[in-house]
Amino acid sequence: MSFREKTAWISMLSMLGIYGLYFWRVIHAGPLAAGFHFGSLLVTIIALVFVQVVLTIAVAIFTPREADAPPDEREKLIELRAMRIAYSGLATGVAFACFFGAFDPPLVFNTNALLFILVTAEIMRTACLIIQHRRAA
Amino acid sequence: MAAIRNEIRRLRFEHGEMTQQELAEKIHVTRQTVNAIEQGKYSPSLEAAFRIAAVFGKPLESVFHYSGGE
Repeated sequence: MSFREKTAWISMLSMLGIYGLYFWRVIHAGPLAAGFHFGSLLVTIIALVFVQVVLTIAVAIFTPREADAPPDEREKLIELRAMRIAYSGLATGVAFACFFGAFDPPLVFNTNALLFILVTAEIMRTACLIIQHRRAA
Repeated sequence: MAAIRNEIRRLRFEHGEMTQQELAEKIHVTRQTVNAIEQGKYSPSLEAAFRIAAVFGKPLESVFHYSGGE
């Protein structure tokens, strides 16, 4: 497994776990607990950055040469394909959010919906990276 | 079936059983990319193809064969 595939796994699993916990708590707290959401989001972002940085450094220690090397042509192509697919997901999600925004939902709900779309697009990107690395495409 | 076939595996064997990692380092790509090229799952850029041919001291057409138009 290449260094870039390992970092994609780290990114996807940490986002699934940490943002999954955040959204689970948001659903149970209700859409109007604005103070709770802000504090919880701050903790989520700090936890995510911490976990990803620590795990990426740990992987880089075991494969320092791969970690230092810039992406080669195949890895760049894989990144571009993954980005294109994730962008389609993001654009579709934002279009839906704009449509439902016309019904004047609470601001906290709208913000969390947009965050959910952003996180989903990022998870799509990392999943596409992993699939393409697995298929050696 | 891949339109571009190659002789990389045979050429590596003929060049002192060169490993994929050694070839990857010579042409500045990852071992996984060499493996993907060798298996016909990824068609390299023209520049990478020339670099591979240069490593084995062969012309490009001795390393890669295009079978898409046949």
